[in-house]
Amino acid sequence: MAGGELLPNEGGGVNSLEHANWFMRALFFTLSAVIVASVLSAQRGRAMFIRRIPGLSAIEEAVGRATEMGKPIFFSPGIDGIGITTLQALAILSYIVRLAAARVTRVLVALRDSTVLPIAEETVREAYDAAGRPEDYRPEDVRFVSDEQFAYALGSVGMMAREQTATHFLFGGFYAEALILTENGRALGALQVAGCPDPVQIPFFIATCDYVVIGDEYYAASAYLTREPTLTGSLVGQDLGKAVLVALIVTGIVMATVLGGATPIVAALLGKGG
Amino acid sequence: MRWLGPQQATTPLVQHILLALLASGALLYLLHRFLGPRGRRALIVVVTFLFGLFFGLEYFLPVRTKTLWPTGLPNTGGSAGNLLTPGIEPMSNILAVIGAFTVGLGVYSLVQVHGRNVLRRRPGWHNSLAFFISFLAMFGFGLWQYSLHLPEPLPPTLTPLQAFANNGYEFLFRGLYAPLQAATFSLLAFYIASAAYRAFRIRTTDAGLMMAAAFVVMLGQVPIGAWLTRGLPNEGVIALLRLENLGDWVMRWLNSPAQRGIALGVAIGALAMSLRVWLSLERGTFFAEQK
Amino acid sequence: MADLSANSARPEIGASAPGFWSRLQQIPRYYIYLLLAMVVIWQILFPIFLPITPSATTRGLEEAIRTVPEGKLVLISADWDSSTQAETGPQTAAVIEACLRHHKPFVLMTLAPPMGAKLAHNIASEIAKRYHARYGVDWANWGYKYGTSNVLMAMVKDVPKMVGSDFYGQPVKSLPIMKGVRTVKDIGLVVEVTGLAGMTEMWIGLIQGPQGVPFSAAYTAVMAPGYYPYLDSGQIEGMLVGAKGAAEMEVLIARPGRGMAIMSAQSWAHVLIMLFIIVGNLGYLLARGRERRG
Repeated sequence: MAGGELLPNEGGGVNSLEHANWFMRALFFTLSAVIVASVLSAQRGRAMFIRRIPGLSAIEEAVGRATEMGKPIFFSPGIDGIGITTLQALAILSYIVRLAAARVTRVLVALRDSTVLPIAEETVREAYDAAGRPEDYRPEDVRFVSDEQFAYALGSVGMMAREQTATHFLFGGFYAEALILTENGRALGALQVAGCPDPVQIPFFIATCDYVVIGDEYYAASAYLTREPTLTGSLVGQDLGKAVLVALIVTGIVMATVLGGATPIVAALLGKGG
Repeated sequence: MRWLGPQQATTPLVQHILLALLASGALLYLLHRFLGPRGRRALIVVVTFLFGLFFGLEYFLPVRTKTLWPTGLPNTGGSAGNLLTPGIEPMSNILAVIGAFTVGLGVYSLVQVHGRNVLRRRPGWHNSLAFFISFLAMFGFGLWQYSLHLPEPLPPTLTPLQAFANNGYEFLFRGLYAPLQAATFSLLAFYIASAAYRAFRIRTTDAGLMMAAAFVVMLGQVPIGAWLTRGLPNEGVIALLRLENLGDWVMRWLNSPAQRGIALGVAIGALAMSLRVWLSLERGTFFAEQK
Repeated sequence: MADLSANSARPEIGASAPGFWSRLQQIPRYYIYLLLAMVVIWQILFPIFLPITPSATTRGLEEAIRTVPEGKLVLISADWDSSTQAETGPQTAAVIEACLRHHKPFVLMTLAPPMGAKLAHNIASEIAKRYHARYGVDWANWGYKYGTSNVLMAMVKDVPKMVGSDFYGQPVKSLPIMKGVRTVKDIGLVVEVTGLAGMTEMWIGLIQGPQGVPFSAAYTAVMAPGYYPYLDSGQIEGMLVGAKGAAEMEVLIARPGRGMAIMSAQSWAHVLIMLFIIVGNLGYLLARGRERRG
């Protein structure tokens, strides 16, 4: 379905994965407007309600457990490279390190992607600075383990076993190695909190972890933990955006059912697959 | 419009690289010297915004392929483009080069950590020694075998050294690494058995329903399930009670909508997070000061 | 979200109560692993084969291969490595057998990881010998192509240019099988065999959707649930799910292979895991009842 282009190319139309058609533009700007409006509203002081997310509320309890036991904390930001999933994981890491630093508890970070290494090092160092304990920062606590998935998993398990970590945080993009990390962590008796936006690994986390953050709760983490108006406004905007999408879906279902999928207006609006 | 296009045929690549290294070194020095922490953050915000704006605009600007490039879209494998499209490939190359600089960082970090363990004879230093041995062996044989450019299939007339290099590489990669990878993945079967045994308790009605669905799907996925309900007819409404059909029904009509719902929420969450990162609204060490 | 998982910090109900029911909930995991290993070894050595009924998703893939138009290729994208070989290996073999059974020329390609090119090549070479299929005429291997989405975008306009040389390093244009193959629309079906997330979305977004090239897939069992929505919408025409999918395809083409051999072990492993779950729940419920009475 062509969009925005006056002269279709030889492919017969514009691939909406490469360039936006009119529907993608309209949808993106609508959703962005909703999110930005919520952010502005929150910045003006409007109170925004966020329901309790047990997995995120448990972070402080989990850090406290490690402090009481006198053992370090293990953190894994997943095996994805630099992207929003990993950036969110690093934001959560920053929060955890601040909490841990204030209680003089070590945080060990195991990384799979070397591009994340300098960012993670900087995140941890600045978190120790912000907590007023720059002298507690140890560069060797933020480690690149391996860029191979299972070597990373086994290396991380080795770290957990040798350092006898009491609490494990696994936030980020996880795949097949997730169960290796969490089952071994479980066997070591650690308290485990996990969060992953991809639903495939969620069942494994639920079976092995004490607290799990699912789906878009993961992207709500920075708002939930900091309660900054900008972020809470964005979070509320997300939910409103979902409502917009659901309304569109229902409209599409009704139109396709009542008018039929072959009707020109329905075909023009809903387009072909892909 | 030329977008950092192919180098001039007369300018050697080495000169380009040296020039780029000198220029970036000078730029980094100047930034470090004259920009304080606030200046650096402002620079990060501006660069983040500009890069995000470029990719965003390239996606959203209307396509004008035949108007702008009657002879064909330069510099890209895509099928349609606007004013910014030829810049996608060079921009992606820039990002790939920046990423490539960090590859060495990972190796350096490993060498530092394990080297310290070995030199100071810390507990478990022999594991670090094993790291060095395996790292050097794989690196050495891998580079050596690659440098020989042996054709596939291998000719019968390899020299002893070539055969040694190739056999060493094959032993390490296909003989050790690949089976180890498969064996590690196989551990998951054992772990899921112990995890399922330990965690799946019918504490609530929800848990009971989940258990029932899990049993149906597990049995539906294997021939035993079909064998257990083999007496039921293959057609008609009753056919749905055959375990393989019931399992398929659970996957298509319970699992599928749930997956779609979660995917919807995650996509919106990702959009909101992307907007926050692009506009530098995200809080946390790397984005802005956390109050 | 309620905490649905067992909590190591909280004691199991009945765990303090002595005796059999408590122990039933706390079987050491080593016994579980040992029993599981014994069951799998038993079935590998003394398999009990049970009839396999092909599912609709597998029949969809077989039909998609069977109905590839005359003169078009099947492109098998072998995007897997040794970690998922137990499932994706038999799946690749089953798809290749189906292609050769139905006399459909096929090509192999690997987008990621690089190991897949060689592993799939070994499988194809072995099967091709049985069917007397000739390399370069009945099948070919384009090898590993770096660039994932860039490769797919380049394929849209010019497949031979994108491929360049094949697995053996020879120019792909010189292969008879490539005669008439210019753009991606000359490919009759793409079958993605993978254990990696994210590949399908690229194929559908860049090839199946905009170019209208039929697409099917074979996934590991753990990732398949996430792709049922694509199956329902018609973007994926058929799907193999795990080793069972491979076994079902072997039944459809009447050629037993590794898929069927694996299914007997997998069946009894599933039964054992369910037995463990039942035993654990028995212990939990009976201990809880005892605690309430006490």
